[in-house]
Amino acid sequence: MALNTLSFCGSLRKGVGSDAHSNRLHGVDQQCHFSFKAKRSSSGICASSSKRGEYFSEKPPTPLLDSINYPNHMKNLSLKELQQLADELRSDLIFNVSKTGGHLGSGLGVIELTVALHYVFEAPQDRILWDVGHQSYPHKILTGRRDRMPTLRQTDGLSGFTKRSESDYDCFGAGHSSTTISAGLGMAVGRDLKGRKNHVVAVIGDGAMTAGQAYEAMNNAGYLDSDMIVILNDNKQVSLPTATLDGPSPPVGALSRALSRLQSNRPLRELGEASKGGSMHELAAKHGRGLMSGSGSTLFEELGLYYIGPVDGHNIHDLTTILARVKNTKITGPVLIHVVTEKGKGYPYAERAADKYHGVSKFDPATGKQFKANARTQSYTTCFARALIAEAEADEDVVAIHAAMGGGTGLDLFNHRFPTRCFDVGIAEQHAVTFAAGLACEGIKPFCAIYSSFMQRAYDQVVHDVDLQKLPVRFAMDRAGLVGADGPTHCGAFDVSFMACLPNMVVMAPSDEAELCHMVSTAAAIDDRPCCFRYPRGDGVGVELPPGNKGVPLEVGRGRILVEGERVALLGYGAAVQSCLAAAALLEPHGLRLTVADARFCKPLDRALVRNLARTHDALITVEEGSVGGFGSHVAHFLALDGLLDGNLKWRPLVLPDRYVDHGAPADQLTQVGLTPSCIAATIFNILGSWKSREALEIIFRN
Amino acid sequence: MSSTALAHSLPTSGDALRFSFPRSTRPPHSVSFRPRPAPLHLRSALNATVSDTPAALSFYELLGIPETGSLLEIKQAYKQLARKYHPDVSPPGLAQEYTQRFIQVQEAYETLSDPSRRALYDHHVASGLHLAFAARRHSRFDEEMEDRGEWKNRWQSQLSELKRRSVQKECADDMSWGARMRRERNGT
Repeated sequence: MALNTLSFCGSLRKGVGSDAHSNRLHGVDQQCHFSFKAKRSSSGICASSSKRGEYFSEKPPTPLLDSINYPNHMKNLSLKELQQLADELRSDLIFNVSKTGGHLGSGLGVIELTVALHYVFEAPQDRILWDVGHQSYPHKILTGRRDRMPTLRQTDGLSGFTKRSESDYDCFGAGHSSTTISAGLGMAVGRDLKGRKNHVVAVIGDGAMTAGQAYEAMNNAGYLDSDMIVILNDNKQVSLPTATLDGPSPPVGALSRALSRLQSNRPLRELGEASKGGSMHELAAKHGRGLMSGSGSTLFEELGLYYIGPVDGHNIHDLTTILARVKNTKITGPVLIHVVTEKGKGYPYAERAADKYHGVSKFDPATGKQFKANARTQSYTTCFARALIAEAEADEDVVAIHAAMGGGTGLDLFNHRFPTRCFDVGIAEQHAVTFAAGLACEGIKPFCAIYSSFMQRAYDQVVHDVDLQKLPVRFAMDRAGLVGADGPTHCGAFDVSFMACLPNMVVMAPSDEAELCHMVSTAAAIDDRPCCFRYPRGDGVGVELPPGNKGVPLEVGRGRILVEGERVALLGYGAAVQSCLAAAALLEPHGLRLTVADARFCKPLDRALVRNLARTHDALITVEEGSVGGFGSHVAHFLALDGLLDGNLKWRPLVLPDRYVDHGAPADQLTQVGLTPSCIAATIFNILGSWKSREALEIIFRN
Repeated sequence: MSSTALAHSLPTSGDALRFSFPRSTRPPHSVSFRPRPAPLHLRSALNATVSDTPAALSFYELLGIPETGSLLEIKQAYKQLARKYHPDVSPPGLAQEYTQRFIQVQEAYETLSDPSRRALYDHHVASGLHLAFAARRHSRFDEEMEDRGEWKNRWQSQLSELKRRSVQKECADDMSWGARMRRERNGT
């Protein structure tokens, strides 16, 4: 394919070094095969591309974007310049994410929308809210954080989501979905109460619209009639990914069909073809009917939001026209603008990928290839999925439920094997839990795979619909503990606390992948009460898995001792056991033999084990990657009631600190919170009173 | 909010159109009009007989009004023609044709009296209403491109309607929370 445009204007030379300049000329001579859809070719694209690549390999110059630090620098741009800005912003986003990893597809889909919003509105006085926040990278680039993009999702760097403490332009922190309309309405009402005149714009996706909270908010918005704008970003993506292992799949839910109907003129067309040669005005009469208000827009209208759309979300002219008109209309009440976009737009590899490059690791922009480190071991997620498949093969009553997270929970694998036994309910955790409860009533064995932090949303359903009635629903909570780059919004710190306080719930945690398989089996076997198990993000430790990933049910309420020692006992819960083992290994050469035990169950607690440890050791340390109120508290509660604290026992809990841990590299986070093996060792020295010894300090600081 | 939804389908006048406009093509049972002298261009429509091929007429021609006709003209024309072609007053032997004409006139009124529907109709007339005679198979891409072409018309009329509602909200006795706060803020 020939190159579309190649211009050597003066601005190119300014930004590009001489090496690249000579490459460019060389490239022209070579007639590189470069197919690039340049709908609106921005002036001055430097096409220094590798052969056969479908995108630039070097970042093209971005003269317009370079001149914009904040949205008010955009106000005097013409439409053509805005389009050029969008193109530059797009390439800037791709190159930035290629170096840091992060969310890509969603940001690409809203480039034009972001440009249009910042052009028309006056942030930060005008409030612009981004649902979930993973599409806010272009917003961040335009609002003074472009220079910090290389620090995205890293320790002390930019957050991957909107964050109030990071910038005035981030009005509301996000990470979980479907909160924007609620928050936006709150901001609109607050503005009204304070007598201010700014605008409030809430951007929410069609996936997030599957959650109940969006309707709660719209219902209230229609009733209060406060002026605000909701932008429905419709890209036909509900689940992550909106595709199965076998290929693209339609988004789950009836709402997506309704939104699609809004977009098409199908009824007219079908009529037109059916009545070929029919009377002109009969046809014309019919085609006027029922077309303007498609069956979907009346839903929003009935809720009290004025519907405008559909609108081409990649056409800056249309977007700015509509936004400006709405902005300048004196009284609107709540308005919903239905914007149709394409996830991954503008990056050919993303457009073609089944997951639309939703979340990527570092990649090569020219080829789209991601640099994924080869994992030595299976991830906990994959291990769980395989174990569940093994259980389902043996027992036809086993079904799996997830909330739009087929990829993240590994249930895509389960769906591939058992398509009729895997239920994706959309972003609706509350419904997922009660739905599982209903299934359990009928003798089915439901496994609800919901991330620990997303389970928070369904807590009342867990308590009231499942635990109170003692229904045997199994909860598989992935992403327990710290999660690294996603930060506190995705951190699963609280699940031990909120699950273990429920009277009927069995609460367990595996210390490695093999234990995970056994716990899946145990969960399948527990049929008279609900149970849950938690496992962390990341890869397993590499232990040998049971054949076919099919575990063996454990004895409920029994832990195990891994290493026999003396004086100090480490009682770990979940993946923290690995840190305990590592701490013991650190201290062994120095003559300290620790006992390491794996509690396995927080509820019911292995009382015999705890009693034994308490009676035969001077010190007992419990370790978990959870907040206060979890495993350690249950142990303490038991120790106290059993009289075991009335003697000389020293008991210490190691838990996550009482604050939110910022995003960063997992190793950094663990160091920050004091749960690394050397921190555990330090605690032991502290207890034993020998922490000032040179040896102790060496051990701690060397590691 | 439901009152404004209805406004799309019902005539907004307060005068003596006592029957509703059902979506089906059944003629209404009772009709009452206030007679008015017909404007000149309408008389030709009134004088047209049913033997004139209705298929060739556009809605405007059917009602006998210019394409730039106002809502008032449309209403007047409709009333006259409905009165003429109502099956109850048709000459003997022509009941069927008259009924058909009546239905056509009614459909014309329904389309032209609704601004957004009228806009869509005008657009299709301008593009020759080729859809009615489309022999070729539309590819999905063509369909999508056509859809997108329609979108602009749709949202343009939606924006006009929003403006109109804004004015209405200002005057109306709106008691919603938002309206009360707006009045307070504006000092009214």
